[in-house]
Amino acid sequence: MEKLITNFNYVIVVILMMIGLWAMLAQKNLIKKCIGMAIFQTGIILFFISIGAKNKAKVPILSKFVVENSSAIIVNDYANPLTQILMLTAIVVGVATLGVGLALAQKIYQQHSSFDEDEILENQRK
Amino acid sequence: MPELPIWQFDVLLLILVVVFAVVALSIRNLMGAAVVFGAYSFMMCLIWAGMGAVDVAFTEAAVGAGVSTVFVVSTLYNTGATMQRRTGGLAFKLFIGVVVTVAGAFLLSALPDFPKWGAPDSPVNATVAPYYILNTFEDAHVPNIVTSVLADYRGFDTLLETTVVFIACIAIYSIMRVDNAKLETDEPAIVAAPRYDPSDSLIVRQASRFMVPFMQLFALYVIAHGHYSPGGGFQGGVILGASLILLAISFDLKFLLRQWSEKTLMLLVAAGVFLYAAVGLACVFMGGNYLDYGFLDSVLPGERDMARSHGILLVEIGVGITVMFSMIAIHINLASNGRFDRGL
Repeated sequence: MEKLITNFNYVIVVILMMIGLWAMLAQKNLIKKCIGMAIFQTGIILFFISIGAKNKAKVPILSKFVVENSSAIIVNDYANPLTQILMLTAIVVGVATLGVGLALAQKIYQQHSSFDEDEILENQRK
Repeated sequence: MPELPIWQFDVLLLILVVVFAVVALSIRNLMGAAVVFGAYSFMMCLIWAGMGAVDVAFTEAAVGAGVSTVFVVSTLYNTGATMQRRTGGLAFKLFIGVVVTVAGAFLLSALPDFPKWGAPDSPVNATVAPYYILNTFEDAHVPNIVTSVLADYRGFDTLLETTVVFIACIAIYSIMRVDNAKLETDEPAIVAAPRYDPSDSLIVRQASRFMVPFMQLFALYVIAHGHYSPGGGFQGGVILGASLILLAISFDLKFLLRQWSEKTLMLLVAAGVFLYAAVGLACVFMGGNYLDYGFLDSVLPGERDMARSHGILLVEIGVGITVMFSMIAIHINLASNGRFDRGL
């Protein structure tokens, strides 16, 4: 239980991933599916940022003073930069994949005049 | 009750994020869902900024809250489907609910094995990451550690991520683009009639005319100053793209396409990736490894570490160009149904 409170971030990560997964599976609307995918993705990004965070740490940018005498750098003063850059690129790729998803949804709408999965399937059977 | 290691403010934001996610998925008005999802992204970027990930928060503010909302809205505008159909199937939803709960329970069962949040001696923080913090300035003369890891130490990673953006842009182009001439002879155009023409609004036009130069100036600063402050090619590119998307929305698509023709746009999307790859190749010709900018010191001013710093700037510009023009190309495709004539 104590872990549940001290690691509250990870609980939220799991909840967000559950919400995103539920939306991708249970929602019938294609746009809602895309939003669910994006929520799942931000859950994972939050996970990476959480494991890279350090208590009472600064942003990972060296100050002018520290730069001038390199022995003054204390590692634990700075948040982990590695997890951050992995997620930075993931966000931009995420918007590109969201664009692909929306383009597919829009093309489907032109064929079936609906974003709804059930209606699309009915149209295809006809 | 144990002392909370994170701020109480963070706890509040984390709960708000879940609330926004549920709201975005449960309201039936799709336009509203898109806007709530934008708000969700803003909450998310506050959390990340609170955890010290300023670059990530910056990117999310520009991309997640800004551009992706525009993409969803322009898709909805084009199709005219703003309301979601009410669907039944409670048994199906319950079944999915059970599946998702089981998956979530598995994930939660791993929770006790995690190190305490924010522990500096956790494996992630204690193994490889200290090298970057200690050596980035000596190696590459860049105080912003995120920038140097992004474009130098892990340059391959970023090169391929930029390529993914490029490929996504090509994919959207090939899905959406239709030949206007063919369309006119075959069938009458199926376009949702514009219910409201934003290019009529004097206030919107004048306001965006004022804003665009400042946005672009800020974006250039973000790219050029990415070595010393949060920012870089991705963020600056997205802001530059957003400034031109704003022009396209407030005037009309033709206004934008008069300045940047379709051909120029697609060429520039490729040019950014090409610039990145070419800088890498130049390092090979100088005798180093691919993307080892230190070997560019005979061409670029300064010593080896300064050459690496300048090399980072060059590839950031490449990233910026690709991201900027792919955002614009994606928006035009989505907003005009691939017809490149008019749209949102």
